[in-house]
Amino acid sequence: MPIDPGLVGRRWGPFRYTVGLEKLREYASAISGGIPNLGLSGLPEEVHPVLHDEEAAARGPYHGVIAFPTFAVTFAMAPFGAAVLDPALGVDLLRLVHAGQDFEFLQVLRPGDVLTTHGELVEVSMRGRHQVLVVRTESVNQHGRTAVRGLFTGLVRG
Amino acid sequence: MARHSVGTTFELVRDVDRYRPIYYAGASGDFNPIHIDPEVGRLAGLGGNILQGLCTLAWAVDCFARYLGDPGAVTRVQARFSRPVALEDTLTFRGLVTAVEGDTVHASVRAENQRGEEVLKDVALEGRSRPEGPR
Repeated sequence: MPIDPGLVGRRWGPFRYTVGLEKLREYASAISGGIPNLGLSGLPEEVHPVLHDEEAAARGPYHGVIAFPTFAVTFAMAPFGAAVLDPALGVDLLRLVHAGQDFEFLQVLRPGDVLTTHGELVEVSMRGRHQVLVVRTESVNQHGRTAVRGLFTGLVRG
Repeated sequence: MARHSVGTTFELVRDVDRYRPIYYAGASGDFNPIHIDPEVGRLAGLGGNILQGLCTLAWAVDCFARYLGDPGAVTRVQARFSRPVALEDTLTFRGLVTAVEGDTVHASVRAENQRGEEVLKDVALEGRSRPEGPR
């Protein structure tokens, strides 16, 4: 069953997420050739100190450790996940691929930040035999500022 | 900024070791079975489990962040995934500065596998040429 285009405008959220220092370090390690457990392996090669070293980062321009930008997926993906699992959409997960991803990083993310994310289905369309769904997300931090905007494009192979 | 000029290139190479999708799942929370279970990947017609597109995207962003010298300076990314990334692929990311407007640097990054097949097409990136400091 194809996704009903009449569902455009459907929303999911709020999803709340608190950023943790060790999660930031694990993410930086996993995208740099390491494993997400620094206690076992230590950090791989030349990971930027601002992503893991509290003392070095405190002396730098951000005055503390920050997240690698795409760490935002850990919380910003929640509405997309809810969308593809929503029985109303009826997405066949075995046919779903991630076709595109846009992000705007408006605020750096720091340990202790609390992000609240909402998402909305903004497009359902056909691309040849395949169906495309697009979920737009917005994550607002504890200061009321938009920290991350995302556009998640999924393609259900026909 | 004199430091950045249109036409400058930069590069990053990443190996997809057998456990990378599992490590990336642990770090990101993306445990979709097509990324961590070879059987499910085969059932989905992908020949096995495939790397998360978001891991490939993170590498493209890292390629640019390393060029800028500051992971916090990346402000925007737009990416389209061209083809799945398999275990034991080697990806080469090639970046190009496309425009410099005041403190904003625009760049594009392409990624291909060891067979020269494109896995990410013309990722568009924007960043600041100097850190903004605490916000």
